Amino acid sequence: MTVKVEVIEGGIPHTKVMLAGLVCTIVCLYLAYLNVFTNTEMFSFFGGLAAVAAIVWGSHTIKVLCSYGIGTGVPSAGMIAFGSGVIAMLLATKFGIAAPIVALILAAIIGVILGYLANEVLNMKIPVMIQSLTELAMVGALSLMGFAVLITGSFTFTGLTTGTITLFGALSLPSYQVSFIGGGLVAVAFLLGAIAVQHPFNACLGPGWKQDRMFMLSAECGFLSMIVASVMAFALINHASALIALLIAVIGWAYTYNEYIVLSKRDAAAWLDSKPIPDVEGH
Amino acid sequence: MTAVAAKPQAGAAMNPAAMAVGIVLLLVFLGVAYYLSPGMGLMALIGIIIGGVLIGFGVHFVPVGGAPAAMGQAPGIATGVAMLAAGAGLAGLFGGAWAAEQGLVIAVVTGGIGGGLMMAITCMMVNFVYVFGMGIPAASGKVAKDPITGDSQAEYKSQGTEGHGLPFISFVGGVIGGILGGAGGTLIYIELLDLYKATLPTVMGATAAQVLPIAVAAAGMFAIGLFLVNAVLTAYNITGTIEGPHDPKFKRWPRSVVASAVASALCGLVAILIVVPLPI
Repeated sequence: MTVKVEVIEGGIPHTKVMLAGLVCTIVCLYLAYLNVFTNTEMFSFFGGLAAVAAIVWGSHTIKVLCSYGIGTGVPSAGMIAFGSGVIAMLLATKFGIAAPIVALILAAIIGVILGYLANEVLNMKIPVMIQSLTELAMVGALSLMGFAVLITGSFTFTGLTTGTITLFGALSLPSYQVSFIGGGLVAVAFLLGAIAVQHPFNACLGPGWKQDRMFMLSAECGFLSMIVASVMAFALINHASALIALLIAVIGWAYTYNEYIVLSKRDAAAWLDSKPIPDVEGH
Repeated sequence: MTAVAAKPQAGAAMNPAAMAVGIVLLLVFLGVAYYLSPGMGLMALIGIIIGGVLIGFGVHFVPVGGAPAAMGQAPGIATGVAMLAAGAGLAGLFGGAWAAEQGLVIAVVTGGIGGGLMMAITCMMVNFVYVFGMGIPAASGKVAKDPITGDSQAEYKSQGTEGHGLPFISFVGGVIGGILGGAGGTLIYIELLDLYKATLPTVMGATAAQVLPIAVAAAGMFAIGLFLVNAVLTAYNITGTIEGPHDPKFKRWPRSVVASAVASALCGLVAILIVVPLPI
């Protein structure tokens, strides 16, 4: 495991991917804050889009990191991303409207220290290690916050820990159990994101790696996770808003899945549309 | 496309300057915890650091084979460190969480047994598949004789491989690793749960019974996050595969202990800050 397996050839440079992902994610998270200004939950779906943007960015960071033979498998990168991200994200929710920015800064601090530990104390000596672990922690924190917004319509600590239960269809009581954190939905969102962020490079790596194909798969994985998250949103936000999120997720998933199949066929060495074995009568 | 640039060798050497920086960072995090919350917060943080170190140390015992093991060319369980450690640790954590009501010692022991049991079952089934499914005997490539049973290994080792199957020492190592990992994960969970149960009612202005779901879920989530961070850092330390406690790579554990302690202190401090009022 001492050689660099691949180099980035062609495609969009990583800095551009990182900046685009960062800006898209933060803008989408703040667009979801329109919920508060308009006093609805209609804009929750922007959280899901933020998560998708962060996942696309994260998959490219994993590509940069895992191009060096780190010897531990690609999934471990997704796990450390969300392991450090969830810690930053949960504390950041205490800071109200500044939560996405605080999550970003806090995740960056955690990522830099973890990168230093891996590179110097553990003697990994990989040039991109510190930058990659910093980015991955940010990706983990922001995409988890995106899912939190999608499911609850809010990214504040109160919003994530307080829900309402309706008794007999009329009487509504505040409840801490019917909430993103109290109900354990955070654990599901954690793995939805962690698997979505590590899978694209794990599936596309190799000599035939193409950047656009991996991005399409990342977006597809992101939307697939968003479908599941928006189904969970039915429990916590009103049904119309959750339905909007679900529709957007399904449309996005269908489009990206289709495009991914097209790109896969483009990159396949030879592709033959073999039909199922025909049932021949009388044999 | 392949083998373009060699990266500097990630060897077994220690880096004393970086270790010193790590220890200074550890003391800084402890100092911050002492400043913000001298009683409960500091105690919780110390518990979390011990738990993190147990996880980081325990993962070194687990026989991780990776892809070569899946092809019968290296000993160990055929998956990555992060997956295996997460499997064992989370199994232990769930076991320990059930016993959280019965006090620290019982919960930590239960967590350790949960993790060890999970690894024992995994190791046994792995050997079942190796012996009866793939038709290969268990043989270590790193030592001439098994340190526990004294069986010689070389006769059973196929040429061109680093050994295969799961020798007895690796099995024992796996169980020890599971016990340490499960106990460490549970210790982190219990420390955070006690802290949250005591402080969340005032932070959120609700009764203890009302905030219990929040305390349990937040402590569990932080424990899972900390566990994964420690497991992946340890995976980076052993760079891929390890046979168990007899492997030469096992000697790298001091690096991992320092790294786990600092990482746990950092993440634990963040987890504590969520309930401690900040002096801003």
